[in-house]
Amino acid sequence: MTFALEVRGIEKSFSGVPVLRGVTFALEAGKTLGLVGENGAGKSTLMNILGGGVQADAGQMLLGGVSHAPRTPADAARAGVAFVHQELNLFPNLTIAENIFLTAFPTRSGAFIRYSAIYQRTAELLREVGLDTPPDTPVENLSTGQRQLVEIAKALSRDARILIFDEPTSSLSARECEQLFKVMGQLRRRGLTMIYISHQLGDVLRLCDSVVVLRDGIVAGSGPTREFTADRLVVLMVGRALTQLYPSRRGSARSEIVFEARGLGEPRVIHDISFALRRGEILGVAGLMGAGRSELARILFGLDPHSRGAVFLEGKALHRASPTERISRGLAFLTEDRRHEGLCLDASIADNLMLVALRDFARTPLKLLNRAMSRATLQKIRERIRLNQNARDEQPVRTLSGGNQQKVVLGKWLLVQPRVLILDEPTRGVDVGAKFEIYSQILELADGGAGILIISSEIEELLGLCDRVLVMNRGEIRDELSRPEFDRERILQSALPAELFS
Amino acid sequence: MESGSARPTTTRLLPGAAEFFGRLAQSDYLVLGLCVVYLASFAPFTPGLLSLENLGNLLQSLLPLSIAALGLTVVLIIGGIDLSITAVIGLTSVIGAKMMSSSHGWLADSAFAVPAALLAMLACGAAVGALNGIGVTVLKLPPFILTLTTMMAVSGFAVWLTKSRNIGGLPEGFSSLWASLWFATLLTAVIAALLHLLLARSVFGRWCQAIGFNSRAARVSGVPIQGMTFAVYVICGVCAAVAGILFTAQAETGSPVLGQRVLLDVLGATVLGGTSLFGGRGKIHWTLCGVLFLRLVDNSLNLLSLSIFTITMVKGGVILAAALLDAARSRLTISRK
Amino acid sequence: MRASFNRRLLDQTPTLLFAVALAGFGLSTPAFLTKENLLNIGVQAAPVGIVATGMTFVLLTGGVDLSVGAAMFVAAAVAGKLLLGGQSLALAATAMLGIGAIWGAINAVLIARSRIAAFIVTLAMLFIGRGFALWLTETRAMNLPDSFLRVGSARFAGIPAALWLLGLVAGAAQITLSFTPFGRQLHAVGQDQEAARKAGVNTKRILTWTYLLSGIAAALGAVTALGQLGAVTPKFGENYEFKAIAAAVLGGTSLFGGRGAVLPGTLIGALLIQSIENGLVLRNADPYFYPLITSAIIFVAICLDRVRSAILAKRTRRHIRVEATT
Repeated sequence: MTFALEVRGIEKSFSGVPVLRGVTFALEAGKTLGLVGENGAGKSTLMNILGGGVQADAGQMLLGGVSHAPRTPADAARAGVAFVHQELNLFPNLTIAENIFLTAFPTRSGAFIRYSAIYQRTAELLREVGLDTPPDTPVENLSTGQRQLVEIAKALSRDARILIFDEPTSSLSARECEQLFKVMGQLRRRGLTMIYISHQLGDVLRLCDSVVVLRDGIVAGSGPTREFTADRLVVLMVGRALTQLYPSRRGSARSEIVFEARGLGEPRVIHDISFALRRGEILGVAGLMGAGRSELARILFGLDPHSRGAVFLEGKALHRASPTERISRGLAFLTEDRRHEGLCLDASIADNLMLVALRDFARTPLKLLNRAMSRATLQKIRERIRLNQNARDEQPVRTLSGGNQQKVVLGKWLLVQPRVLILDEPTRGVDVGAKFEIYSQILELADGGAGILIISSEIEELLGLCDRVLVMNRGEIRDELSRPEFDRERILQSALPAELFS
Repeated sequence: MESGSARPTTTRLLPGAAEFFGRLAQSDYLVLGLCVVYLASFAPFTPGLLSLENLGNLLQSLLPLSIAALGLTVVLIIGGIDLSITAVIGLTSVIGAKMMSSSHGWLADSAFAVPAALLAMLACGAAVGALNGIGVTVLKLPPFILTLTTMMAVSGFAVWLTKSRNIGGLPEGFSSLWASLWFATLLTAVIAALLHLLLARSVFGRWCQAIGFNSRAARVSGVPIQGMTFAVYVICGVCAAVAGILFTAQAETGSPVLGQRVLLDVLGATVLGGTSLFGGRGKIHWTLCGVLFLRLVDNSLNLLSLSIFTITMVKGGVILAAALLDAARSRLTISRK
Repeated sequence: MRASFNRRLLDQTPTLLFAVALAGFGLSTPAFLTKENLLNIGVQAAPVGIVATGMTFVLLTGGVDLSVGAAMFVAAAVAGKLLLGGQSLALAATAMLGIGAIWGAINAVLIARSRIAAFIVTLAMLFIGRGFALWLTETRAMNLPDSFLRVGSARFAGIPAALWLLGLVAGAAQITLSFTPFGRQLHAVGQDQEAARKAGVNTKRILTWTYLLSGIAAALGAVTALGQLGAVTPKFGENYEFKAIAAAVLGGTSLFGGRGAVLPGTLIGALLIQSIENGLVLRNADPYFYPLITSAIIFVAICLDRVRSAILAKRTRRHIRVEATT
């Protein structure tokens, strides 16, 4: 039996903290391997080592029987390791063909690009991945799904021996996912070796021949896919069986309406959105990626404009109020984009936690901060959100894990005691333990009488937490379900596009 | 992770040394220490460096520069930059002199000449700052190119006002007070203290820092970015105007090219002090130390009677070194997990 | 439909402005639209156009080079010293190009290797360069031998040498940008430097060559300018960085990197700026106004750039709903 890739005893530490501890597995040629694990389990580091981004401290890798120890990403690419990343690395200002051949342009008389040659070869590659677009189309004119296919074409152009998919579906629509899986199936039949990394355990089980589960830098389990179920994967990933995934709810929705949207609309984004949120109610918004849920949240919070309809907070219209004004009236918004909009990564934990509530600790006339008071509050909120106790207040947030970072974002909003909290994907990129704590905080807030609007791509999460769920599809509300009516199938049906785009 | 791998050998071979230099580069007192080292190593070869008279000169040249640099510090903290400072200094000088000059000033010999001129000068600085602020917030132009354009326009305007001639005959009362060492020192101290309170102890400072680190996150957190950015550019303009008043008083003339040479000093001193060009990081006392170091270099090279061109070149080198240090520092912070 | 029309209109703004400027000055000043004056504008625009060609490369990478004017001054000062010392014209011109290359190399090392913001590096280099050249020339003007002027005013096929040089430089530059791996990779670096590096583009090499070319272009611009002025004054090359940026940005090159072209963009930009200046001279406008006018032009240029990139961003934004066209 020939192995396309053998990984033997790989170890790696960052600043003395071990991330990988003797990782060993092998991948047969022509097979697809699923790599799963919680965030921080070491998946990215392992793939970085394979891709030449970082070097292992110890251990060995064999690629087709030959020692593989790339010093740079270019080394790895030459050895035949290709990536399709979750963030796409295409240049919108260049054409498809230029993107594919960017580092390997064939030239005439050593200087000029042979455009006819690259267009011809690109057309062939695009046929292989099922993309029917001229090779000289600028990438900026392509959709996300189409761009992903271009990424695969790019990898194929390099005669990749191993193709690594790192969370490829996280920003694709259902239809785009299907197209991707179809292409992956074709590649597999052609005998290409692939590694598939994903949190979507169902996809992993469906697509892969074998599975490796990483936990805290060790291989917690591995073997042919048929030996695994999604439940077993979860158990291996977290190392213990989860008896209760969602904290139990004590209170319930009251009658008083706290937040309301009437006929909200914005051309090409959302259309005729109306809903009413009661005090103490947890209202979920389900839908596929790109259904307009995040856009709705941004409009509700005043970050983006809307041209029709109105938003009411405690009965008063918000009109064109800025986010600043909305916050002071009791609205809060936890964004889906933690790195770019949720946190100042280089600022300290304390500064991030205090950012929204700052004004409450200021004394006139210079708005000087009351430091004793703010320090006490900081301590209280840290305990409440159960932030990693080893983290110092003045430590940059960047140094925290994803789960702890998200707790900081949540904490800064809890500090202002919002009357309405909008959460957009509150548990994305968060480990299981931190998830539970975030859920507890949300429930506690609702029990205290706040209205909660929660957007999530995980239907389970909405079913576990919400009193009521709205389903969005193409910028409209398609369905509404109250708790007794909760039904996965029905939500999915409403979320899927009725007719496809032409 | 990327940056952690950037220097794997150093961290592995010399963890202690890397840690030490990391600490040193980020220390609040690095630049102050450099000043002491510089003074100690140059004093023996530089006659008169430590004389009372020279130290007075040093202080006098340091004060207006500090005020301008303090304004720039605030702008850098929010991740912006203001290259029009020097033009503001020139324009305020010209406007002030035009108003109060006893030879052909608009308010010559009036009792209100000096206060009116001072007000007009401050208003000038605020106005240019406001223009920059509007350009950055409303038109969303990149600050460095916008303020470069403002610099060109404002200094062109100042030159046009005077047709390249200096204006003399400033009232006695103006020069004697504003050029006096004790008054200028007091003024600088008050401004520095005020800005320090604002930056280190107030909501304003935290907001500035948040904008500089990540303006999108700041916006979502309810920081009034537009207003803050506008205010910060106005503060910078006013600081430049105050510096212009001091420079004018010291020179006893109104000149459109008064500030021309100090752009490098102001920017170099601020960055040398440790305020980051990438936004978010910056402190008032850092900048004061930076100004002290840069003036010390300038002053000692002057005493060694090097030409002004050589000194300009040396200072160009110092600002480059400062920028290198800034880049190294931000890399260190990121890699120190 | 409408958006793409607006964008096309915006792309043509420099050409339209150019036409408006020509028509305006032509109608009000009879001497403006003569063949000689138009050639003259071309010749006067040549130094800025050549420097702006180098600047276009730099802007395409998302950087900026504020030191081009200082580089011109240093090169001219050294050439002046050589010529007045009795050296040949060829040696002086070669020395200028060599200095331009060294200058660019210094910028390149500092920007590409140590990753300091380009504007701060080149701003420092501006001061260092002007200080150095003033020291070299002892702040005095140097009148060059007539031979330099003669070469400068030579014509081939009725067209001034400076125009030939401008056309040659701009043409070669555009071919490099459009048809060579270097040119396409440069666009990638300007779009997203980190992504380009990850994709395996040798970003350091690209940036190094870019600043090197900008230095050489500045030196070539200095040669052209010397051929017209015949003297090195303490103000030689001053404000060229502004004019070069203005020409490139007016011509549609973005300050945000990744988008732009030398032909026709930057060339039109340079001609536009020079026509306005020429027209003002013909109309005997107050010379103290020139900096004000130049800054106004730059301001218009960066505002246009801003609008253009806003439209581009809007166009690439994802639409959730397909609305019926009303």
